[in-house]
Amino acid sequence: MSEMWINMGPQHPMTHGLWNLRVHIDGERILDVDPEMGYLHRGIEKISEDRHYNEVITLMDRTCYVAGMAWEHLYVQAAEQALGVQPPERADWIRMMSDEFQRLASHIMWYAAFVQDLGLMSPFLYGMRDRDLILDLFQSYTGGRLTYEYMRVGGVRNDLPEGFTGRARQVLDWMEPRLVEYDRLCMGSDIFRRRCDDLGVLKADECVRLGVTGPMLRSAGSKRDIRKDRPYSRYAQVEFDVATADSADVTGRYLVRMEEMRQSIRIVRQALDWLDSHPGPVLADRLPRWLGAPYAPIGREAYLLKRNYPKGVGLSAVEEPHGEACAYVVNEGGEHPYRVKFRSPVFANLSAAKSYLVGYHVADIPPIMGSVDVCVGEVDR
Amino acid sequence: MNTEQVRGALAAAGVAGVLSVDPFEGIAARVRFDPTSATGVFTAVRDKLGFVHLSTVGGIDWVERYEVFYLLWSDPAKSYLLLSADLDAKNPHIETASFVWPSANWHEREAWELVGIGFDHHPDLRHLLMPDGYQFHPLQRAFKLHEPEELEVKVRHV
Repeated sequence: MSEMWINMGPQHPMTHGLWNLRVHIDGERILDVDPEMGYLHRGIEKISEDRHYNEVITLMDRTCYVAGMAWEHLYVQAAEQALGVQPPERADWIRMMSDEFQRLASHIMWYAAFVQDLGLMSPFLYGMRDRDLILDLFQSYTGGRLTYEYMRVGGVRNDLPEGFTGRARQVLDWMEPRLVEYDRLCMGSDIFRRRCDDLGVLKADECVRLGVTGPMLRSAGSKRDIRKDRPYSRYAQVEFDVATADSADVTGRYLVRMEEMRQSIRIVRQALDWLDSHPGPVLADRLPRWLGAPYAPIGREAYLLKRNYPKGVGLSAVEEPHGEACAYVVNEGGEHPYRVKFRSPVFANLSAAKSYLVGYHVADIPPIMGSVDVCVGEVDR
Repeated sequence: MNTEQVRGALAAAGVAGVLSVDPFEGIAARVRFDPTSATGVFTAVRDKLGFVHLSTVGGIDWVERYEVFYLLWSDPAKSYLLLSADLDAKNPHIETASFVWPSANWHEREAWELVGIGFDHHPDLRHLLMPDGYQFHPLQRAFKLHEPEELEVKVRHV
């Protein structure tokens, strides 16, 4: 009699999006869970097959709406490999800087939502206030606050506006003491520690077995970070440390994300220094016409680019704020990609839900799922 | 890890069913294998070559055939490996990888419902993103984007 299946979702404060967690409970104890996805499925992989290469970038912002830059970066890298296009160096640095600003914004968003799930209202407001400063920066050079459509196959759309690096440094200077304040609010609170310690434990070997990546894996002591292991963009040229913790629980994930924010600030500062002293083009000039080259190639070259564009396959992986994201782009010589496949980190992290929820209480679900940092847009795609 | 090392390791392990090992820009190699000996290849790649992390499973509809690919990562080698197999266009199916890499479970559910590739002996082959009872496989080339679909959704009983 006390055993039953209940639905948490699709409308539930815990879900942070639109999905349904079916929970099999015995009293307060969780016996089994079954995440039910698909409420936000838009068929992005299918729509991509019907769009020009650059038009897919619009969809990428919608894939994860709190980490749009990371997904744009993922896709343009794979498309560049498939098409054989090389971005200019300055564009690569701007992309990396955008990625890290996005990581900062995404983690602050996570922090705000996560602590609100625990019942702390003020950190939520602090988080939203500080995130807005980063969105203002994004707006100043992309025009968008969440959906940027900024990166292009072969570079980025436009260069940074005048005085941008100075404004960006101001935001970072403001942000650094704020992170200390965030940390004091949580780690200084005995209630927070009692609530989060030894909750939702998932050890490193289990993480690897179940495909769990990102802060969840690093909170279990693993140092796996694609930015270090397989440096893309300009990550090999900047200094930063991989944040890890060893408790593998909710507190561990909290500590990893907090440290990642500090490391992101460190990376952005180095990128800003480089951008200050290295002006240059931000979009490759040898592009097929349908990719939006700044000027159309002429004569024989134009003919070749139009008629016999070489086939190719592109594969890229980036360390998105939630974990390892991969893209696989198949170019069959047409104006549209033949097939685009994305690997979403949250998809894999959610598929392991059974192993970090079973055995805990129903009231533990919001903090645990909060520490997973679910973004439904990229799970359903 | 480079293509030669992958080729050597696969030969040393004596894996049956490997058709070719080709270079692939940015990753260790692309290994094509015979789908009838899938489990042997999966186990060897995980245990002998050390690719313990499965990133994703995907399918491509090439009209005259299907392709299923597995993207793997090895921490010691710090590189990706791509496994791929060509499947029959009439009845594309392959042995599940869920018992070798448990993370394949959801990825295979997705590939099954969107691309239409069958995974034999899969522990839990249900719809994931599409509603229960959905009859179509949207990522097949025959599924046109601009035509309305006739959709009949069965009610899910909880």
